[in-house]
Amino acid sequence: MTMEEKMGVSSREDDGKDQFPNGMRVLAVDDDPICVEVLENLLRKCRYQVATTNQAITALKMLRENRNRYYLVITDVNMPDMDGFKLLELVGLELDLPVVLLSAHSDTELVMKGITHGACDYLLKPVSSEELKNTWQHVVRRKKPDSKDQIFAENRDKAQGGTGEVGQTLMSSSDKKFIKERKDQIEDEEDEGDDNEDENEDPSTQKKPRVV
Amino acid sequence: MERNPMRRQLQVMRKSLFDQGYLDEQFVQLEELQDDANPNFVEEVVTLYFRDSARLILNIEQALERKPFDFNKLDGYMHQFKGSSSSIGAKRVKAESTLFREYCKSGNGEGCMRTFQQLKKEYATLRKKLEAYFQVARQAGPMETACRPK
Repeated sequence: MTMEEKMGVSSREDDGKDQFPNGMRVLAVDDDPICVEVLENLLRKCRYQVATTNQAITALKMLRENRNRYYLVITDVNMPDMDGFKLLELVGLELDLPVVLLSAHSDTELVMKGITHGACDYLLKPVSSEELKNTWQHVVRRKKPDSKDQIFAENRDKAQGGTGEVGQTLMSSSDKKFIKERKDQIEDEEDEGDDNEDENEDPSTQKKPRVV
Repeated sequence: MERNPMRRQLQVMRKSLFDQGYLDEQFVQLEELQDDANPNFVEEVVTLYFRDSARLILNIEQALERKPFDFNKLDGYMHQFKGSSSSIGAKRVKAESTLFREYCKSGNGEGCMRTFQQLKKEYATLRKKLEAYFQVARQAGPMETACRPK
């Protein structure tokens, strides 16, 4: 592995011309050094560009300093300085980035907490490369329906070191509206059927009653 | 068919680790991350694991000496231990961690202590087996280049 690769900068000549999701910049956060090491390598295998930190506070700093740099945050929920739920909340409020939660435990309450706090996915450790391969979908889901073009444009912009915000995406109000619509949709689905009881593992059939 | 006898031995050891339930699929994930650019990845991660988790084991041990048990704290340590153990595919160790956590949740101190003893045993056995495995791996050398002078 070249030094450039280790630093998370692609050493490929066509950096910036990478077709999304290749080269997608991800920030991985976990206080456990083994998990970080494995996660980083798994993400690189998926052709993402990865930055890592083992502290939530550092993660926030990195995200705030460079608001357009990262597309996605993947974080453990159980960290000493700040738990993943708190980080999720802050990232969601301030930066409106998709956040994927990771945990060694799959308790229903924790998964529920993650989803209601706005996590776009909740993965159980150990994660495999198969699960991470499609995680870029959360970036696309967060944005407007015709955002695929935006992402290509952004990718080009980001690669050129641009602060240019071509049709910029952190449209908090429309994203919030989208999230609300999605939640309403989930509630409607609940009213329709109650056959699916405990399908924690399948995020696409979230038919849990809303926790008030 | 592997002609290099060391590599054959390695394959036998590896198969046994899986068959006896010491390792699971996650270990294969690690192996898949190993390549020419990262030729010692598996051993590096596993070494890191044993180094880091020794600290956690000590923390748990110390916490179990303080009565009454702080189950929240114990659970916290075990959460991290379970996370890293599962990341390297340490199947039996992971199972004991899960059991330990159940006992924490139900406030069963006896259960915690018993499970922890078992966990330490599994952990020590795994460590020995993996150390032996990597020793052979290093001697066996990379697959295709078994005949290349070092």
